[in-house]
Amino acid sequence: MRRRSLLCLAGAAAANLVLPTTSRAEPAACEVPPELLEVSVKLPHLAERLGARQPVTIVAVGGASTKGAAAGPPDLAYPHRLQVALAAYYPAVPIVVFNKGVPRQSTQQMVERFPTDVIAEDPILVVWEAGISDAVRGIEIDDFAAALQAGIDQAKNRAIDIVLVDMQFSRRTSTVINFEQYLNALRRVGDLNEVYLFPRFEMMRYWSEQNVFNFDEVAEDERARLAAKVYDCIGRTLAQAIRTAVE
Amino acid sequence: MPEPSTPRDLRLDFFRGVSLILIFIDHIPENILSYFTLQAVAFFDAAEVFIFISGFTAALVYGRRLADKGALYATAQVLRRAWQLYVAHIFLFVLFIAEVSYTATVFNNPMYNEEMRVTDFLEEPHIAVIKALLLEFQPNFLDILPLYILMLVIFPAILLGMQRHWLLVLVPSAIVYLIVQIFDISVPAYPEGHVWYFNPLAWQFLFVAGAVLGNRLTQGKSLAGPMRLVYPVAATVFLAAFTVKVSWTIHGVWEPFPGLFLKELWPVNKNNLSPIRLVTFFALVLLVATLVPRQARFLGSAAARPLVQCGQQSLEIFCLGILLSALGHFILAEYDSATVMQLAVNAAGIAMMFLTAKMIDWYKALDRMPVPQPAAARRGDKVAR
Repeated sequence: MRRRSLLCLAGAAAANLVLPTTSRAEPAACEVPPELLEVSVKLPHLAERLGARQPVTIVAVGGASTKGAAAGPPDLAYPHRLQVALAAYYPAVPIVVFNKGVPRQSTQQMVERFPTDVIAEDPILVVWEAGISDAVRGIEIDDFAAALQAGIDQAKNRAIDIVLVDMQFSRRTSTVINFEQYLNALRRVGDLNEVYLFPRFEMMRYWSEQNVFNFDEVAEDERARLAAKVYDCIGRTLAQAIRTAVE
Repeated sequence: MPEPSTPRDLRLDFFRGVSLILIFIDHIPENILSYFTLQAVAFFDAAEVFIFISGFTAALVYGRRLADKGALYATAQVLRRAWQLYVAHIFLFVLFIAEVSYTATVFNNPMYNEEMRVTDFLEEPHIAVIKALLLEFQPNFLDILPLYILMLVIFPAILLGMQRHWLLVLVPSAIVYLIVQIFDISVPAYPEGHVWYFNPLAWQFLFVAGAVLGNRLTQGKSLAGPMRLVYPVAATVFLAAFTVKVSWTIHGVWEPFPGLFLKELWPVNKNNLSPIRLVTFFALVLLVATLVPRQARFLGSAAARPLVQCGQQSLEIFCLGILLSALGHFILAEYDSATVMQLAVNAAGIAMMFLTAKMIDWYKALDRMPVPQPAAARRGDKVAR
């Protein structure tokens, strides 16, 4: 349940011992403890495409943090950063990542637009960022889990690989929104379906604890730039995880 | 109020006290101690214990008042209690508003602006406040008191119904519960799209079941006979559920360990009080009622005393627990959430709950104490005059 947070605490402690200053000095490196980048499941369909050097279409579906308006134009949002990072890993393969982020939608509402927004693009991989609006709205866990299952089934039935992305972390929102049971539900659904869950929440918690990205001490006009950096790190680490899953 | 003829059943106070402490622990998100509460080993959690015992004790306390002083008096007493709870709930709500407003003011991260709209209601306070007064606005963790208040409001009807025949109350209650299970009905709340976290149409059954059981016992009905028959079944059900749930908890921490029947049974619905929760909880009630006798010596021990006192002052301690868990979480989020700090927050919170219960107990004892001397002096005065 809270396995990742325990690991993360250990990781944070270890990083403090080994690298007392680097994380502060090089925020652009997007470092995370290695446990957070462990991937135990495979993405077979994507691996096949990449192996055959055929064009790859990825759809990123999700909410406001997928759309990425906080950073500015869409090429600063994490889906585009993912495309850039993947292109660097696989220069011989044409890769495109479509951004289908629509703010303030529940997971059920996202599933309802799967046919038009996701399936219609004929992707080989779906990156599905879900759970924030459900937690904010207090959607029943059963309904949340059922919606996730419906989306995963749609993708699997069409031989599309799927990666789940959990919530954004913020120290302060955690006092007013209870993400815990929604995070547990995401982990459990991923576990039961053998679907990879990208631990964005724990990564952002780690960056917050390491003071890599601190919005508190930043002037207002700087904040969009900082948001773009976070999105860039999310895109890069996600690309790293995907590379591990296709190897 | 203990009476010489029927000494207070300390088991009720003790286990209600335990449930209040567990609710406090579970309400601090990501609390390391919550690995050691009921929810880690059972399909149900402290909320079931609290609601069930509340129904049970309500039947004992107000049943006696009904017998002594009539229906009108008993009803007035129940409604007075409901009013106290309502006021406590509004007080907690005001504190919640303060916390959210503070968070909204100091929060300046654009990445959350669009989605983390927990502060939306601050844009329409005229509606939000009315919805809170109507119990329709139930922020995080302020959701169990509205259920309890509603249960007390309907309790006079339950009490009078039980006086005629207990089945008159239990059967309709069970039917409503079953309808909720079959048709998945929920009760809408505020803001739009929210529901009552503890669906009162489902959870009422647990409260009523507790009340009916309490009522049967005050009527002098012994349940020892049927209990002995069901005991082996209850033990089997509880142990099976325990094994399954513990396997899930271990699986959550260490993936290679298999989660038994995870695919078949998860998720277990809490909002509508899933039958798995209900049945396994009743199994535990049976086991505890059988294994822990009323005269059990530990109930009177010094070690059990703080928990018994918490259970006896349940309204105050419940509210304090909610307040302390919010405060504790706030401290962990704002300053430091390391394990040592978590343990310190837990320990401080529990100590404050114990101390407050002790203080209220002491205060009430003083209140009850007869004051003979001034009366005697006054009589003496009169004589002298």
